[in-house]
Amino acid sequence: MPIPVKLKGKQKGLRLRLKSVPLATACIVYHRFFKEYTLQQYDPYLIASTTLYIAGKVEENQVTLRDVVNVCYRTLHRSKPPLEMGDMFFALKETIAKCELFVLRALQFRVVYNHPHRYLLHYLTFIKEWMEPYKWDELPLARTSWALLRDSYHSTLCLQYKPQHIAVAILYMTLESHGADIPFEDTAVTPWWKVFAEDITLDIIKQIVGELINTYDLEMISS
Amino acid sequence: MDKMHQFESRSFRQRKVLTLQKLEKKKPFSRSLSLISRIRNLWSRSDSSSQRSPVPTTNIAVTPPKLKEEHDKNHTLPRNARLGIVHENPRILSDGESEEISITSTPGSREDVVSAVRMRNRQRRYSQEANKRLSLPADMRLPSHRSRTNLSSPEGQLSRRSRRKSLSEIGFGKIESYTKLDKLGEGTYATVFKGKSRLTDNLVALKEIRLEHEEGAPCTAIREVSLLRDLKHANIVTLHDIIHTEKSLTLVFEYLDRDLKQYMDDCGNIMSMNNVKLFLFQLLRGLAYCHKKQVLHRDLKPQNLLINERGELKLADFGLARAKSIPTKTYSNEVVTLWYRPPDVLLGSTEYSTPIDMWGVGCIFYEMACGRPLFPGSTVEDELHYIFKILGTPNETQFPGLSKNEDYLSYNFPFYKPEPLINVAPRLDGDGLDLLSKHLLYTANKRCSAAEAMKYPFFNSLGPSVHRLPDTVSIFTLPGIILHKDPGMRSSSLSSTGKIRRQSMLF
Repeated sequence: MPIPVKLKGKQKGLRLRLKSVPLATACIVYHRFFKEYTLQQYDPYLIASTTLYIAGKVEENQVTLRDVVNVCYRTLHRSKPPLEMGDMFFALKETIAKCELFVLRALQFRVVYNHPHRYLLHYLTFIKEWMEPYKWDELPLARTSWALLRDSYHSTLCLQYKPQHIAVAILYMTLESHGADIPFEDTAVTPWWKVFAEDITLDIIKQIVGELINTYDLEMISS
Repeated sequence: MDKMHQFESRSFRQRKVLTLQKLEKKKPFSRSLSLISRIRNLWSRSDSSSQRSPVPTTNIAVTPPKLKEEHDKNHTLPRNARLGIVHENPRILSDGESEEISITSTPGSREDVVSAVRMRNRQRRYSQEANKRLSLPADMRLPSHRSRTNLSSPEGQLSRRSRRKSLSEIGFGKIESYTKLDKLGEGTYATVFKGKSRLTDNLVALKEIRLEHEEGAPCTAIREVSLLRDLKHANIVTLHDIIHTEKSLTLVFEYLDRDLKQYMDDCGNIMSMNNVKLFLFQLLRGLAYCHKKQVLHRDLKPQNLLINERGELKLADFGLARAKSIPTKTYSNEVVTLWYRPPDVLLGSTEYSTPIDMWGVGCIFYEMACGRPLFPGSTVEDELHYIFKILGTPNETQFPGLSKNEDYLSYNFPFYKPEPLINVAPRLDGDGLDLLSKHLLYTANKRCSAAEAMKYPFFNSLGPSVHRLPDTVSIFTLPGIILHKDPGMRSSSLSSTGKIRRQSMLF
């Protein structure tokens, strides 16, 4: 059940034209909330809608409450006609406004996060310079890694590891899956990931990659 | 279809009103049991299908909520299921859940686990660290009868957790605990009142944020709270408490007598150079800390710098501050109050970082030293005009991209030669002028950082020990550092009558 919620959340987010960082924040807020409370206690769809709204505010990419309500309704009830202005609409709006403060309090107002996105971006520019240009053009490394990073938010990976580590692990996974090598990797004294994050080990990378793979497996089970 | 009905009826009708009581709601014991069975299921599942992934650690990679379906389908538990699985990666369930599980596996202690007190503690514990700033400082003075009844534990020493719990029992987080006194000011989204805590008899500042249900809580409020709670420094205002009621959200801050603008008014805009130094140093110290934590203030102005009797200066109003991230275009252009706004921002730059705050520091430094604002422009064009008149019209090397900047071209400024700063700020000595010039640079990333600025010879007279203070210790704890009497300081009765803002006696 939670995975469909997340998927819906993503769809909503995309429809609201949120950027990836606010979306990531929304995901973290969502995970943090349900780490504290069980799914039976609070409605995941409501919380998901609220986290989207909060994330928009926190990351200065504000969406109006009206849009959140409409898009959420549309995403969840695709077969029904769009929501009309009326009691239902206002009730939903008020619910999200109230739920917003509730979620904020539940999380002790801790809603500013350091995301792996900028680290990944930074590392990718390095990789680009290291690689032969034709190879970089040939392989969609940036796109794959960005997609992997986005998918990683389906799990609670983002709460367990440092953002730098997640970024390195995702880069590792991308390179592996495209069969690409870092030039002169076999002769280098320090492995490339050590250059990016000093305190990372191959074990941590493998652990993160493993969990990410597991997330994809879970997704398959539930769908 | 079924799910849709659920969504509609469950969430939005029955659960329409969420109250604080729900936060405290006790989780039934059965829930934690079902959680265990879910984890067991996961264990067996990933055991049987472990060939799918080559990485050995995958079996603990899943969060319990994901497993609802599995839990619903299957309750059987293989003999070899180990509860210890949770501890292999404690971070997954680090907040209480794992603790419960490990305790329930030893039947003797079950009663303890489900008792109300423990459940409450569980939630408190999570917020301990976070709450540090939201409660009173450790040296709070509680009324004696209260402290005796509530705050002492059997051992005679307070554990942090029990202190936290007692704090809420005493009345933290309740509006009744504070008396509202005079109104101090009104901002765009909040009204600030002077208040008094009934618990400690200390003065506090109550920032009351109106909640319009149109758009929920203002994003500036959310950002301010979420940023301030991680900033703990002697030169940053302390957030004591947050109170949430039906109509408003009130932030309880420590109370400081006045802001820098009032201070300058009160001393007739002639400050002692020693005090300028002290204030500037404290400003830089607080800012260096923010920047180290990757938080920009973005709204530095004398009105946002609070000063108490002792002379301690604290940064306040983080409503526009933001955690630094990849420069994106989403920063709104309307950020820093015009007088303290750097030219690159005035000309439409949205890709800014810590130097945005440093320009403002320079302007405030000048204003303290010379008693009048440096660039008191009323419009963007006016403001730029002031800047160019003193610093000279910039060229392409000083201001990359200037010749293509449409805003700049449309203003059609005359060419000014830079004026020597000594003519502008005659009260400053060589070291002071050097420091000022490092702040007022057109090229944003050439401006000195707050941490660098603290090391400038201008501050040598404060002694070397000011650099070795821990973050939360005020510089006034050092011997020899005291606020001097300002030459222009008048008695309070006079200052209220002869208050002509922005008129310096030096010019």
